[in-house]
Amino acid sequence: MERSVLVIGGGVAGIQASLDLADKGVIVHLVESSPSIGGRMAQLDKTFPTNDCSICILAPKMADCYGHPNINVLTYSELIGLEGRKGRFQARVLRKARYVDESKCTGCGECLQKCPTKGIPNDFEAGLATRRAIYMPFLQAVPRVATIDREHCKFLTEGKCGVCKKVCKREAIDYEMKDAILEIEVGAVICATGYDVWNPKVAGEYGYERFPNVYTAMEYERLTNAAGPTGGHVVRRSDSQEPRNIAFIQCVGSRNVQLNHPYCCEVCCMHSTKEAMLAKEHKEDIKTTIFYKDLRACSKGFFEYVGRAKRDYGVEFVNSDATVQEETENHNLIVSYDVAGKSERREFDMVVLATTLIPRDSMPRLAKVLGVELTEFGFIRSKDRILARVETSVPGVYIAGYCAGPADIPESVAQGSAAAAKAVEALVEARVSA
Amino acid sequence: MSDFEPRIVGFLCNWCSYAGADLAGVSRFQYPTNIRSIRVMCSTRVSPHLLLEVFKAGADGVMVGGCHIGDCHYITGNYYTEKRIMLTKELLRLAGIEPDRLRLEWISASEGERCANVVADFVKKVRELGPSPIPRDSRLALRLDAATEAAKVFRLRLLSGKEIKLTGEGNAYGEKVDPERFGNILRNAAQEEFQRNLILELTKCSALSVKEMAKETGEATDATLERVVALRSKNLLALSVVEGMTPKYKAIIVGGV
Amino acid sequence: MSDENVRIGVFVCHCGTNIGGFVDVPAVAKYAASLPDVAFASDSLYTCAENGLASIRDAIKDHGLNRVVVASCTPRTHAPLFQAVCEEAGLNKYLFTFVNIREQCSWVHMKEKEKATEKAKDLIRMGVARVRLLQAQEESRIAVEPKALVIGGGISGMTTALSLADHGFPVILVEKDGELGGFVRNLNNLYLDGKDAVETINPVIGRVRANRNITAFLNSRVVKVDGFIGNYDITLSVDGREKKDKVGVIVVATGAMEYVPYSLYGYEQFEHVVSLTEFEILCKNKALPKIHSIAFIQCVGSRGQDKSYCSRICCNVAIKNALNCAENYKNMLGREETGAEVKAPVEMKAWEEISERRRRRRGRRGEEEGGEAPQAAPTEALEITIFNRDVMAYGVDHELNYNKAREEHVRFVRYTPENLPKVNMEGDKLVVDYWHDTLKMQRKMNVDMVVLSTPLISQPDAKDLSKLLKVPLGQDGFFLEAHVKLRPVDFATDGVYVCGTAKAPADITECVDQALAAASRAAIPLARGYVQAEALTAKVNPDICTGCGTCEAVCPYGAIRKTEKGVAEVIVAACKGCGCCGATCPEGAIDQSHYTDVQLLAEAKAALEGVVH
Repeated sequence: MERSVLVIGGGVAGIQASLDLADKGVIVHLVESSPSIGGRMAQLDKTFPTNDCSICILAPKMADCYGHPNINVLTYSELIGLEGRKGRFQARVLRKARYVDESKCTGCGECLQKCPTKGIPNDFEAGLATRRAIYMPFLQAVPRVATIDREHCKFLTEGKCGVCKKVCKREAIDYEMKDAILEIEVGAVICATGYDVWNPKVAGEYGYERFPNVYTAMEYERLTNAAGPTGGHVVRRSDSQEPRNIAFIQCVGSRNVQLNHPYCCEVCCMHSTKEAMLAKEHKEDIKTTIFYKDLRACSKGFFEYVGRAKRDYGVEFVNSDATVQEETENHNLIVSYDVAGKSERREFDMVVLATTLIPRDSMPRLAKVLGVELTEFGFIRSKDRILARVETSVPGVYIAGYCAGPADIPESVAQGSAAAAKAVEALVEARVSA
Repeated sequence: MSDFEPRIVGFLCNWCSYAGADLAGVSRFQYPTNIRSIRVMCSTRVSPHLLLEVFKAGADGVMVGGCHIGDCHYITGNYYTEKRIMLTKELLRLAGIEPDRLRLEWISASEGERCANVVADFVKKVRELGPSPIPRDSRLALRLDAATEAAKVFRLRLLSGKEIKLTGEGNAYGEKVDPERFGNILRNAAQEEFQRNLILELTKCSALSVKEMAKETGEATDATLERVVALRSKNLLALSVVEGMTPKYKAIIVGGV
Repeated sequence: MSDENVRIGVFVCHCGTNIGGFVDVPAVAKYAASLPDVAFASDSLYTCAENGLASIRDAIKDHGLNRVVVASCTPRTHAPLFQAVCEEAGLNKYLFTFVNIREQCSWVHMKEKEKATEKAKDLIRMGVARVRLLQAQEESRIAVEPKALVIGGGISGMTTALSLADHGFPVILVEKDGELGGFVRNLNNLYLDGKDAVETINPVIGRVRANRNITAFLNSRVVKVDGFIGNYDITLSVDGREKKDKVGVIVVATGAMEYVPYSLYGYEQFEHVVSLTEFEILCKNKALPKIHSIAFIQCVGSRGQDKSYCSRICCNVAIKNALNCAENYKNMLGREETGAEVKAPVEMKAWEEISERRRRRRGRRGEEEGGEAPQAAPTEALEITIFNRDVMAYGVDHELNYNKAREEHVRFVRYTPENLPKVNMEGDKLVVDYWHDTLKMQRKMNVDMVVLSTPLISQPDAKDLSKLLKVPLGQDGFFLEAHVKLRPVDFATDGVYVCGTAKAPADITECVDQALAAASRAAIPLARGYVQAEALTAKVNPDICTGCGTCEAVCPYGAIRKTEKGVAEVIVAACKGCGCCGATCPEGAIDQSHYTDVQLLAEAKAALEGVVH
């Protein structure tokens, strides 16, 4: 019998599913497309409603996952083929060449300092910082191993440079490394690929990418993070000054039929509330205002959290849509909104947009490989929306986290465990019928 | 004092503050070399008497680092840490040592820069306070011993251990104790236990009269007499000699030291 | 400490130039060799490289080392690697100490080479002082009874039981009611797919009954629980008879109940003011009176009005019922209204069910029975209004339903807690009196029926169960999970899990997700067959312990209990080794292995060596 499971996506849902399975003695192949596991949660600063430091609570799980004898972590890899059926799948996994020998690299960072190819946007920092051609996505990356970006590396593109190879005393750099394809037999598959952040520049009324001091919420998360590009100092793009007042605008692109995101992303009301509170913790006299449609604070402790934001942090909540214009002289922003049918305008130093969170752009491709159906919005369709949300139309293929539809961290974790339960059931069934 | 380099011992919890210190390293945030850190699983492990003994060993400063309140890896550990540090500071004060030589900091695993800043600031503070007087001042050292012994006393440890339960959930009858009132009770108990142990420390080597004791403890003679009575009833102090009309007492040393 | 001849090996790492560039590593290694009991000291370019590891293995054998110190990076990433090497060479891994001279020395003192070198020496001296006192530790395994207890036979409990059974483990399912199904049995149809609620869960009930791994007890409850993870002795009361069994894990799925809006908005005062669940019962039994307009009032008793929290599901349930009314109203009417042949007085049964529910409650409050089934108000079309504060149509499907409701002309009127709507009787008409925020004026609306959306509240006996299982409740009386973010279905106490509305209001899908999650978590110890106990636990000296119970109270894991002799005992399977009890114990009877007072003090004293006394 095949006692192994393939988990796609090394975010918190995938990590949870992997740990649950591995702890039961199941061999797990965890496939993650980026160089490190951790996913979106690793990017966040704090988590609501406890304001726990996100990476602090996630890092031990990442380490557990990587160090687990039953988990084979395949970072920088993608699933490219799946054959067979429940109980006996043959998966083809593409291991992209990272040009660094994982077993030799100690993560000392010497090469990261010396690589001459700079100025590449750092995705982990939501583009707010740059990285070099050889990089580690973030300080707590797991595995703590460098990766060479083949599109930018001077040696790989032009055949000259080789600085990283020279400085690496462990001889971990291998420019000859090739992409490899692994054939893996598994009994079940769990897909937990998470979300992408929608780029709000399409919606011109918010001025994103036109006005320098308009940020997405993900950018703001990195801005407030002590390990982020500004060392946790919230400063404006235009003049590096600390803002005195910040507007948070909700439902940017979501709950919007025209943009084909008529849905609610479930987490934005809360993360904006959290971000407004954190702004206050960083600088006490800062004023924060949240413009919202419905304040969806509807999980355990959330409503009380919003109450605390109002009472103890003085966060202002305005029930209105809002649009953004710019005061050209000082790059301050003018937010227009309605209160009780009356149009109003207010000036802010910074605007943070709670943008729609959409399925990964790789989702259609992956869905084809898995053979699962997608909903009209690109989420993976459940077998039954009521009683079998973590199951798909393909027996033996299960889903968890945001790829199955909007979910916050605890829901993603619960679904990760739930998918693990279904996967074990599948393995047991296969054993019984064999 | 310009060449004074403070010796600082740190107790850092594995999950947050030690990780924060690691991150300071990974990010290359520079700070003074004065701190020598000891890793513990949780800051709650560090008990008051242990901290006081570290001061006895000559530390100019001691820093305890834990997770932020609410973030403790062991759920509630750091709530107890906070209480223990408060009690330790009180005992330091009673012994006559600046409580600022002991610092409690919450440092999360992502606060590398803050970790560096906190250490730098503490080193600066201890530099201002100057070298610990303990290695050179035997009188203070004896008072510190008394504080250390007081920290081991059943009553004080029991009170300190129950503080969160009594002020939060309430006692067996569901009555909550006002935190301020509890603070007073604890402070009074600390004072009493310190004075009693000071008497014991003083009389370990030589028999003393109540008057002689009072001179050292700084309390009134009648108050000191009360303590002597209490210690005698606990069988910790014995009448040694009577010189003229003055009785002199000596501590009963248990365990045959 | 012990009589054995301590032979310590110290391995100092250059980490390329990461340490070697800022610390004089050869000098440090030389210094280490001069320390007492150090039998061997060396430096290498990369201790973690295969040749570095081999040199440790060789040195342990060649020099008869029985303690090892590695001075390099951080134990948080590399301790397992070096510990494994020690084990390979036959040395217990707890006789190893890690000294961090990279992250906490060379990298943070890059401009002070001399001082950094001195500090590295000090840190190694501390490590040597510590390692000398360390003792070998064994990780014990505790066998697990491969059987689960699930408390609660609603959708959550049934789903957990089925999943655990399908994992291959026997399950005992305890339900206090006379039948399985729980709260869902009250409901009409389910939102999102519109299917009949009872018909949806009936197959689940059927599968539970048919599953040979599940033993379901109705009319039963848990009366006693002793033991710890893997080994619980449980006593059940089944139909009043005691029944004993042994299980390895326990899942709490006791669900929630509906809040009763006494004295709110004319409930029990006016006819045709019903709670949301009562409305579901009317619809389910096709017993709606003929009405012209209906108003739903949201957040009745929740979000600061009595209960502080948001109940998550009521907005979407109200929207579903509004859509039902808009699309399917005629099919939910009572017999008299439609004139159709309906066997037996179904609608009477529904009103009876409702008044029976109310009577039972009043019985609890010691009040008289009263009231009768309201009569129908004869009208034609149906106007639907939902008075709300924020519409919690989260996610994809709820939001789409919300949009659909608006397309069906369901009116959504927002109110604020400062201006609550009022329900009055004017003549024989129900009137909702409300503040229109946009028009800034007080308005009145005639309605035939008012439905009050009330929150789910915790079970009244949750407190008893929490004491029985030694697991906590939160402020609202719901069970409190170990960590709101990352451990949503675990309790801090290992071996006990929670799912569904026992934890917080949740809809049926979320309950199923959590139930499967709880099954997954609970299956871990069952599948392994043992619990790997933490080697570094607290240890009680029973000769000193007076049984005061302070340690038991401070332990967040319920890992300390009193023995028959009245002294404390650490439950090794549950202890996580934080050391809180040790620092608390008033008698100093508890010490933390591997982090004993003596060891920590030795380390601190070594740091201060050279200070003039």
